[in-house]
Amino acid sequence: MPAFKAGRALSMGVELELQLVNLRDFDLTRGAESLLSVLARSPRANNVKPEITESMIEVNSEVHTRHDDLLRDLAEVRAELCAAAEKLNIGIAGGGAHPFHHWAQRRIFPTERFSALSELYGYLAKQFTVFGQHIHIGCAGADEAIHLTRQMARFIPHLIALAAASPFSQGEDTAFDSSRLHAVSVFPLSGHMPPVADWQAFTRYFDRMAGFGIVRSMKDFYWDVRPKPEFGTIEIRVCDTPLDIETAAAIAAFAQTLCAWLEDQRGTQEDAAEDSNVYDYNRFQACRFGFAAQIADVRSGRSVSLRSEILAILERLGACAERLGSERALAFLRARATAELNDAQWMRTLNARNGSLADVVRAMCERWCGRESPGSR
Amino acid sequence: MAEVMMPFFPDFPPPLNEALLLGVLLVIGGVLGAAAQRFRMPAVFGYVLAGFAVGPLALDLPVRPLLEEARVIVDIAVGLVLFELGRRLDLQWLRRDPSLWIASLAESALCFGGVSAALIAFGFPPIQAAVAAAIGIATSPAVVWLVTSDAHAQGQVTDRCLNLVAVNTLLAFLLTTMLVAMVHLEYRAGWLTVVLHPLYLLLGSLAIGIATGFALPYAASALTRRADVHFVLIVAAVLIAVGLATALQLSVFLALLSAGATVRNVPRRFELMEFDLGGGARVLYILLFVITGAQAAWPELQTAGWAAVIYVLARAAGKWLGVMASAPLSPLPWRQTACLGLTLMPMSGMALLLMHDIAMRYPQFGQELASVLLAAIVVFELAGPLALHWALRLSGDVKP
Repeated sequence: MPAFKAGRALSMGVELELQLVNLRDFDLTRGAESLLSVLARSPRANNVKPEITESMIEVNSEVHTRHDDLLRDLAEVRAELCAAAEKLNIGIAGGGAHPFHHWAQRRIFPTERFSALSELYGYLAKQFTVFGQHIHIGCAGADEAIHLTRQMARFIPHLIALAAASPFSQGEDTAFDSSRLHAVSVFPLSGHMPPVADWQAFTRYFDRMAGFGIVRSMKDFYWDVRPKPEFGTIEIRVCDTPLDIETAAAIAAFAQTLCAWLEDQRGTQEDAAEDSNVYDYNRFQACRFGFAAQIADVRSGRSVSLRSEILAILERLGACAERLGSERALAFLRARATAELNDAQWMRTLNARNGSLADVVRAMCERWCGRESPGSR
Repeated sequence: MAEVMMPFFPDFPPPLNEALLLGVLLVIGGVLGAAAQRFRMPAVFGYVLAGFAVGPLALDLPVRPLLEEARVIVDIAVGLVLFELGRRLDLQWLRRDPSLWIASLAESALCFGGVSAALIAFGFPPIQAAVAAAIGIATSPAVVWLVTSDAHAQGQVTDRCLNLVAVNTLLAFLLTTMLVAMVHLEYRAGWLTVVLHPLYLLLGSLAIGIATGFALPYAASALTRRADVHFVLIVAAVLIAVGLATALQLSVFLALLSAGATVRNVPRRFELMEFDLGGGARVLYILLFVITGAQAAWPELQTAGWAAVIYVLARAAGKWLGVMASAPLSPLPWRQTACLGLTLMPMSGMALLLMHDIAMRYPQFGQELASVLLAAIVVFELAGPLALHWALRLSGDVKP
C-alpha cells in the first residue's frame, strides 16, 4: 500500500458516474468510446474517464475548498460533455441506476483492469451497472483519515437519503429509494472498514489481508467510506449520482462541512464502535425508506426519524458552514429534507404521472444537462 | 373407375398450395440462415441464397402465381421494416450534427451521379440511365434492419447508418418518381399523366403515412399504457397503411417510412410504448428475402456484362466516398467513418419490383438495362450484408 500522502485538510473533489442512453427508447447505449474520442479535443478531457461498461462514463472535478468553486467547475465539465453528447445523439443522465435496462446486454469497456474484474466477478460485473457519486475529502494526516472514516459511519444514512436516486431497477419499482447500494453489498469486500484505532493498525490489517491474497490495493475494498492514501483523502461512496450537478455539489459540501465539524468535536465524542452494531440496519432503512426511515440512535437508545436527524445536523453545522462557505449548499439540502423530496421521489412522481420509464429517463437527461422541460418537476 | 370408388383421393400429383409452398420456403431459408450464422456470416446472407436457389425451380414448377399471391406477405414485412426504419429517422440529430446530412446528401449524389455517368458512357439513353442510378441510391432497409438487430449492433455507426438509410430510401423514391414521370414524357404519355402521377404518388403516400403517424400515439394514449396492446395497435396500423397504399396504388415504401418518421418526431411519441416484434416477425422476414430472391431471374444475368460490373463499382464508390466526404466535419474518427460508408452497400431487393413495374408499363424501356440492374442487385444482395456485418464488427458496434 502506498504511504498516506498528506492532503489539504477539508479540500473536496467529486467523481460522478453517469449513464449514457440513446435518445430513441432511452435505454443504456454503447457510447463511452465515441464520447471520449470527441472530448479528447476539449480542454476538460482529463476530467472524463471510461468506466466498467461502455454505457457509463465518470466525470471528476478538480480539488476545491469552496462549494461555489466546485459547482462552477462541474458546470464547466458538464457543458463540454453535453455539447459532445448532442453531436453524437447520446443522452447523459444522473441517477443511481438505469430504470429499465437489462444487465445481460451490457458490454465491458475493453481495458485490462475491467476485463479482469469481469473475469473474476462474472455476472456481478455486469449487474454492477450502477452509478454513484464518490466524494473525496482531504485529510491533513493518515490518523485523521482513519478517524474521519470511522466517525463518518454515523452519517451514512443521512447521505444515502439525501442522494437516493435509484427507485427503479430492471423495469420495476423496487420500493427502495436507493436500490443501487444493494448491488454493491454482494461484493465480498463491501460494507465498512473494521474498527481500527489509527493508520498503523490499519496498515497491519491491510498487510494481513494482502498476505492472504485477498486484496492488492485499496481499490479492492468496496467499502462505503475508505481512506485513499494516494490522494490524501477519505472517499465516501454511498451516494447515488444525483440528477443534477447542483445536488451533487451540495452533497459534497455537506460531507465537507460534516468532516470539519467532526474534526472540531474530536476527543469529545463517544467511541464510534457502538455505531457499527446498528450500521447495517440503519443503512438498510435509509436505502428502503429515504427521508421516511426510522434509524437506531445508539446515543439516545431510541429509534428516531432520519428526516429530523438530518434537519438537526444541518442546524448544528451552521458555524462550520459559515467558515467554509457552504451555507447555500446546506440551505438547498434543508429545503429538500423539509419537503421530503429526493431524486427518487422526483422519478416516482414523474412515472406515476406519465406511466413511462422511458419518459422518466428523458426527463433525467434534460435535467442533467440543465435543460429542464416544462412540467417535469 | 378408381375415381368412382375412392372419391376422397386427390389427383396425383396433388396441387401445390400457398401454405405448403411458404412452409417449404421457410425451411430452406431457415436452414441456410442458420448455416450462414455458423460461418459467422449474417443470417440474411443465407436467406438470400435460399431465394436464389429456389428461383430456378420456380421456372419449372407452377409456383410463380403462388409467389405473386404471397406478395402481401412481402408487403407487410417491408411495411414493418420501413415503419421501424422511419422511427430511427431523427430530424433533430440531422440539425445538431451537420456532418450527418452532408454525408447523406453526398453519398446519394455521388452514387446517383457516378452510376448515371457510367451508364451513359456505356451508351445507355440518359433518362434510362438516370432511372437505374436512382434505384441504386436506396440501401436495403430490410437487410440493414435485420443485420443490425440480429447482431445487437449498438453505437454511432449503427445509429448513423439507420438514419442515412432512411434518408437515402426517401431520396431514391423521390428521384425515381420524378424520373419515371420523364419516362412517361419520352413515351408520349399526356402532360397530365406526367405531372399528376408523381404528385399523386408523393402526396397520397405521405398523407397516409403522416395520418397514421399522428393517429397512432393518440390512439395509444386513449386506450391504455400496456406494451402488448400497443403492439397490436402498431401491427394494425401498419397493415391498414399497407392496405390503403396498395388499394390506392400508392407507394407502400413512402407511406410506411413517413408513418414511422412521424411517430418518431411528433411531440407525443412517448405515448407509444416500445415494442419488440420478436420471433413472429422473423417468419415474415425470412419469407421476404426468399421470395424476393426467388424472383431474380438468372438467365438474364449473362447478358448484363461489363455494364453491370461498372454499375456495381460506381455505386459502391459513390456511397463510400460520399460518406468519407463528411469525415472532416464528423465527430467520428476516420476509421469509423470508413466503416459507416461500408454499411450502406446492401441494395434493396425491392428495386427488383420497381424495375418490374416500370418494365411492365413500358416494355420498350430497355430490357438490357433491366438485366444490368438485376445483375447488380444480385451482387449487392450477397456482398452487401457481408460488407455491412464486417463494417459493424470493425467499428466495434458488434462484439468482435
